[in-house]
Amino acid sequence: MYDKTVRRRRAVLVALVALSLILLTAYFREAPSGGLHSLQRGFLTVVSPIQDGANKALKPVRDLFGWFGDTLHAKSQRDELRKQVDRLQRQLIAKQSNERSYQELLKLFKLDNQISASSYSAVTGTVIFKSPNLWYSTVIVDVGSAHGVRINDPVVNGEGLVGKVTQVASDSARVSLITDSEVGVSAMVNSSGVTGIVQPKVGDPNDLLLQWLPANSTVNPGDYVVTSGTVASEGESLFPPGIPIGQVSSTEENSAFEAVNVHPLANLHNLDVVQVLTAASGSRAARLGNALAQLPAGARTGSGVAGEGAVASTGSGG
Amino acid sequence: MGTGVSASLALRIMALALALVFVQIGVISEVPVFGVTIDVSPLLVAFVGLLCGSMAGAITGFAVGLLVDLMLVQTLGVTSLLFTVIGYWAGRLRELRDPQAAIAPLLVGAGAAAAALVGYSVIEFLLGVDAPVSLDLLRQIVLGIVVDTVLALPMWLLVRRALDPGLPDDPRRRRRRAYTTGGLSPLSRS
Repeated sequence: MYDKTVRRRRAVLVALVALSLILLTAYFREAPSGGLHSLQRGFLTVVSPIQDGANKALKPVRDLFGWFGDTLHAKSQRDELRKQVDRLQRQLIAKQSNERSYQELLKLFKLDNQISASSYSAVTGTVIFKSPNLWYSTVIVDVGSAHGVRINDPVVNGEGLVGKVTQVASDSARVSLITDSEVGVSAMVNSSGVTGIVQPKVGDPNDLLLQWLPANSTVNPGDYVVTSGTVASEGESLFPPGIPIGQVSSTEENSAFEAVNVHPLANLHNLDVVQVLTAASGSRAARLGNALAQLPAGARTGSGVAGEGAVASTGSGG
Repeated sequence: MGTGVSASLALRIMALALALVFVQIGVISEVPVFGVTIDVSPLLVAFVGLLCGSMAGAITGFAVGLLVDLMLVQTLGVTSLLFTVIGYWAGRLRELRDPQAAIAPLLVGAGAAAAALVGYSVIEFLLGVDAPVSLDLLRQIVLGIVVDTVLALPMWLLVRRALDPGLPDDPRRRRRRAYTTGGLSPLSRS
């Protein structure tokens, strides 16, 4: 009797571990259109109304916890923001006249049809679930293919770039945040124009690394980092240029290339409402995205250095 | 069920697991503590194992892991694999040692959190995650274990309270109860 119990217990363990390994291997090897991925999307479609309801029901609890955190930091944030407003007002006045000259020059040289964030239409969604895992910086939002959302669409909020869409069901979508290990963004230091790739710093969900900057680049703490509008590696999203990503917090040496730490502008811990930037089908942004998706993998894969591998750019004129 | 778990206990485990997974990914994940995201799901699996035995722990671990992976659209099988092992290990601990010390849930909680955090890291590296690794990762893992250990005691009380009516009667618990009952206390005889 005892032997039978022991045998059954071991058999259950072996069966469950084997089943997990089979699932893991099959899922990892199959294409995003494969059976397990479809099953997962189907499950998401079924549970998303429940998730949505639970999210609304649990929102007061989440807000209560958020309120404690916000209250603790409110005073120091207020003082810092006042200083920032003063500084930005001065900058705004100087930039407005530059902007006017810039627009006139663009028209003069017929470069005024560049793609920017305004070329996309924004689909507003609410975050209904967030992964607790250190290795998956992902959230589920309550908009999906029925709302025009597609894989690789950029996701922003009022503060800056949040991430990109990596899975879509009919009424929900998975967004991989910019701190997720799967996401890399071609970026540019706004003040100097030097380009690199923003990647997550594994183990530190509050920080990013802007890597592959040319040696001796002039990057100072406090500089803003924005999307460059180029693609440097396979699978990267074609983010429109000029979306704020973060602010340089410190610099570090990295052999021939430089790397700097970037603090994301968007508060990724407390996401509630986000906007998915979708390009209308037939628009130039959509055509460029489709053309990029149809390129052979080798053509899209760069050497890892921003700029060298960039084959598609939203910033070019024609 | 074939695992020494009654139908009512199985239903209780299912309801508790569903509720906790929803609360975990809907609320708890949104509230970082000391910069780390709290994850109580390994604690739930470990405590089900500690209360109900290795088979119930392993099956609960697999089911909770699969649910988490499906709901969060993560790589299927990763969380199931880890949670199956955690549930089984906690159940075997009960079957072999039957720890009764008050500190036991804390240690089991710390062990479960460590296994989950280190296990995820190892599996992600085996799957070829393309990202630099720094000392920050170790700091996050250690902080995660500390936070989960702090939460282990309230989670243990919650899980035990939820499952207690369905658990088979424990002779040792009965003995302890007898001594605290007026008529059977040795003190009352004098």
